[in-house]
Amino acid sequence: MLEIRNLTKIYDDGTEALKNVSFKVEDGEFLVIIGLSGSGKSTLLRCINRLIEPTDGEILWNGKDVAKADGRDLREIRRQIGMIFQHFNLVKRSSVLTNVLSGRLGYVSPWSSILHHFPSEDRKRAYEALEMVGITDQAEKRADELSGGQQQRVGIARALMQEPSMILADEPVASLDPVLAHSILGYLEDINKQRNITIMCSLHYLDLVQQYSSRVIGLRGGNLVYEGSNADIRKMTDNQFKEIYGEEAVRVNAGSISGGADE
Amino acid sequence: MSNTNTKKIKPLVPPVAAAVLSAIIPGLGQLLSFRIRRGLLLFFSLVSIMGLFIWRLAVIAHREIGIADRLAKSFSREPFFIIFICLAIFALWLWIIYDAFKTAGGSADKSLGIFVLILVMFFSLGWQISEINVGKMIREFPEAWPPLSRILWPWEAAVTRDTSSVTAEAAILVDDTKNPPPIPEYIEGEPYIKSTPTYGKMSTLDADNNMILGDTIHLEGSGFEPDTETFIYWEDSVGNEFRPRQNGKYVTLTTDASGGFSFDLVIPYRLTPPSAVGQQIHHVQARQISEVGPVKASEPLRLTIVLMLETIFMGMMATFFGIIFAIPLSFLAARNLMSGSWITVTIYYIIRTIFNITRSIEPMIWALIAVVWVGLGPFAGIIALTIHTIAALGKLYSESIESIDPGPIEAIQATGANRLQTIMFAVVPQMIPPFVSFTIYRWDINVRMSTVIGMVGGGGIGFLLVQYIRLLDYKSAGIAVWFIAITVAILDYVSSKIRERFV
Repeated sequence: MLEIRNLTKIYDDGTEALKNVSFKVEDGEFLVIIGLSGSGKSTLLRCINRLIEPTDGEILWNGKDVAKADGRDLREIRRQIGMIFQHFNLVKRSSVLTNVLSGRLGYVSPWSSILHHFPSEDRKRAYEALEMVGITDQAEKRADELSGGQQQRVGIARALMQEPSMILADEPVASLDPVLAHSILGYLEDINKQRNITIMCSLHYLDLVQQYSSRVIGLRGGNLVYEGSNADIRKMTDNQFKEIYGEEAVRVNAGSISGGADE
Repeated sequence: MSNTNTKKIKPLVPPVAAAVLSAIIPGLGQLLSFRIRRGLLLFFSLVSIMGLFIWRLAVIAHREIGIADRLAKSFSREPFFIIFICLAIFALWLWIIYDAFKTAGGSADKSLGIFVLILVMFFSLGWQISEINVGKMIREFPEAWPPLSRILWPWEAAVTRDTSSVTAEAAILVDDTKNPPPIPEYIEGEPYIKSTPTYGKMSTLDADNNMILGDTIHLEGSGFEPDTETFIYWEDSVGNEFRPRQNGKYVTLTTDASGGFSFDLVIPYRLTPPSAVGQQIHHVQARQISEVGPVKASEPLRLTIVLMLETIFMGMMATFFGIIFAIPLSFLAARNLMSGSWITVTIYYIIRTIFNITRSIEPMIWALIAVVWVGLGPFAGIIALTIHTIAALGKLYSESIESIDPGPIEAIQATGANRLQTIMFAVVPQMIPPFVSFTIYRWDINVRMSTVIGMVGGGGIGFLLVQYIRLLDYKSAGIAVWFIAITVAILDYVSSKIRERFV
């Protein structure tokens, strides 16, 4: 279980990305974070595994404060939390298999791993992960030879290699075609339902939010402005959506945002 | 001009005054109309053109004193140049006056034409200053062609064969008739030469250094190679030999079909050595030189190959040492890694500055310094190239570090990897392609540079090339030039192929 208490992040340039944000994530949830670009979604996700140092507040992961963890403890926590990214963040020149295997780095011995030596059960596990996302035949290719959708599936396979209890997904479909979005979110849904892995995912499109989320939180200007269940979000009106996204977003993006909402 | 009034201040003086002022001091009229840049540009253009022109007059007529003499002398030497510049200066002056008038009236013309004229003036001054002389280039081509052709096609000098010589000699008593030496003993099958008589007077010089021919001796030879060039040598009483001339040419015979010859030789002129006393016995020799054995590489070819190898390895060693120093330094010169605190930023700026200064000094100049340090030879060249390589590669490496994608780094960190693992999995794979590519490219440059670095004493083939050119041995120089060209071309191709695979 993850509990965020009074999380605040102020960047060096003075930007307040998160202001006193508190919420809870139960095990097995598919929590979706909505909000404009710059509302603090990415910062929030990255504070959870400390890719970004929080300025203040507590991040309780199964009772341990991530914000205070150091060195070995932090790495231990990180390996329990997988992460996938908008731009996939694969090592482009390495093979797909190496990218997937790098998900095991938190487990294997550092010295043998820097020589790219992994135990054979890890290799077996990597092929299983690739099979789960349906790209076993691409294992030997260089990561940048794959299409965007395939690269994101490699990202998912890499996260699965960590045997995580939770996966953070930072706009996982924002740089993919809408058609591929369902495929990628479908994998996340399977992972969530079949393996009981908590998913915390930021998304833009309301129809995707309505279809996949079990619960939704909304951020605006670093403040938590909305919290609701899947049932709530299905009932959400255009006006409530405007509240979260702000007037200008609606004007520019009205079509896509209100696409699935009841008028 | 209602719209210009909003942004321009009114000219200080009326048009006519502006024109007069610009006639006295070019550009002043424009300045007073607040066309500051235009005025200054025109003023400095005219002043610098006039200054350069006066300097060129002094150079062209450097023996003359006084302006009039210099002008006259220069005019006789470079009439077109003088006329053109004088007219152009006058035209420019007139235009500046006209422009001052128009500017003060508030309607400056488009000034493209006049700036083209100024550019043309600078280029014709440049032509004069850099002593470009196309006529000379064409005129002297016929004289330059023989050495050039030897450089272009030097391959006759690339091979050689062993020679063996066949010699026979006969003793001659000079300037005396008593007790002449006997004719040599004839041995069947051996080359043989006999002189009749075996004595005679040498050629001498009179008071006006005119040659007075000496006695003629009749030479008969046999037992030589048939139909072969045969050289006559003369050896004086102390054993110094030379080739005598007859009718202005070295005496050269061709043997007949049976390997014999007969020839009348005038006894040549030779100063008798002061140490010589008593009867002077000289020797006349007939000598055939023939090439024997297989064709083999000549000395220049072998030296060229050896020094070409040295050159390639110089480039390799300089690249190797360059990499060793450039890699750690490049991390200190990468802005993204060094933006942490003011100390690291200072280090970043210091190293960047050192890189830039070092890189702007050519390897040839570093070689001159290194020669002073470690003496002539390839080591000096390696030092010079290494210094330049460190700076060049350091800059390229640090730029590639600056441009790495942070995405994979955060992705690998998120898996729970430690620092070392993150570097090995996320940083190194991104760095290898640019590092390999830049390194190969630099090796290519280093070999190319080391072909010339020898010219200033830094070892390698350049050293040999300069030596051959100074000895006017153009064929050997040509061999070196060819080898440099071939090596560089191959290297260029190989390095581009390797780099292609890593990009």
